[in-house]
Amino acid sequence: MIWAVPSRSPARALVISAYVLAVEVMRTVVMRAPGAVVPALILGGAALMLIALGIPAQRLGLGTSRLPLRIVGGLALGAVLLLPAAARSGAAPLLPAGLAAAAVAVSIGEEIAFRGALFAALEDLGGAPLAIVGSTLLWTLAHALSHPPEFLGAVAAAGLVLALWRWACRDLVGPILGHVIADLAL
Amino acid sequence: MKKLALMAAAAIIYVFAAWMVAPGFYDGFGPPQPYNWTCPPPQAGANIKPGPGHVTIKVIGGKSDANSAFTNDGQIVIGFLPDAFDATGKSSISVDIKPLDTCPQPTGIKFVTNVYLITADAPLKKSSNLVLRYSTLEPDPSDVYQAPDPNGPWKSIGKNQQAQPFTVDTSTSSLGYFAAGYPAASPPPAAIRVGGGQLLPIIVAALIVVVVLAGLPLAVLRRRRSPGGSEEEDDS
Repeated sequence: MIWAVPSRSPARALVISAYVLAVEVMRTVVMRAPGAVVPALILGGAALMLIALGIPAQRLGLGTSRLPLRIVGGLALGAVLLLPAAARSGAAPLLPAGLAAAAVAVSIGEEIAFRGALFAALEDLGGAPLAIVGSTLLWTLAHALSHPPEFLGAVAAAGLVLALWRWACRDLVGPILGHVIADLAL
Repeated sequence: MKKLALMAAAAIIYVFAAWMVAPGFYDGFGPPQPYNWTCPPPQAGANIKPGPGHVTIKVIGGKSDANSAFTNDGQIVIGFLPDAFDATGKSSISVDIKPLDTCPQPTGIKFVTNVYLITADAPLKKSSNLVLRYSTLEPDPSDVYQAPDPNGPWKSIGKNQQAQPFTVDTSTSSLGYFAAGYPAASPPPAAIRVGGGQLLPIIVAALIVVVVLAGLPLAVLRRRRSPGGSEEEDDS
């Protein structure tokens, strides 16, 4: 596993970055095929989760201590992510029920990959600033193919909020929960 | 406090950035832009009128080229195969798409999209693929309907397996008026949806209430247990 590479080696961060970017790009391309949206989302989410194999849960921010606070934090993150769409009221899209499971899979996969494995690798390499900025940049880049350019500012800002939470609270449960809530509601 | 301030600043930046684009945060599941209505439903808010589309298709060696016609807002796309038109005596074929200015609601059918007129200056001889985008504010359509005149008769030309969320695909062997909808007598298809829409403000309000009601006591308890009030507790 890639986690066996020495922690301060740039190779680990580079391999993880390349892997998550490749999975995200492949998922976006496959989703364009007729009838492939749900399978692409579920398989893409699973492929993103694979990068965390062998990494201790605590290193990903997935411990169970302070769980009630982590859950409340996730709800708060969900509220922040949804706030602009809620204020717009009627302009908010609805997610068809068939996509709900796929949305959950890809939300969890993205958090484990970007704010979990990639964040931890970058933090080992260059500390918290590199982890926050690097994971946010990669997250934004990964969405460049699936989102129109005018959305990338909001995508980057959402990534920054989630990465800051991951750093400040040493927690990934909150970002996962917030991301899932936002994806289910939008 | 520094961490809290940074997170608050990031949240403000996010709200500002997301406010600039509708719907804000989405992960590639929703349509990137609101539907442009001829007759907007009450909940639509600000509305831009739908636009027309045009394409000129070359005729090479007596056969029309492959091409597609679409409106500027991408709400309807029709794709033509090579030799799709009877191009006898023509050097090019002009295809126009125009949204109808009115919103017919024929008996027994509930349209969930605008009605579009697609015309060409040559007859079709091969089926063409038609894709209509629909709004998030209406139920999913079960069929695409076609008519030679806005007053009907409207007939279903079915739909193919959904290729993308919020789009409906079908094929047509002739041009005319097109709209997507569902039989008015039946319940709206796929009416059960997850979250969003008019419920969204309620969902967010409920989240805020839960966070405040549960978060404050948890934070107080945590400070009492940890005299330093440190937020640095880690799992490792």
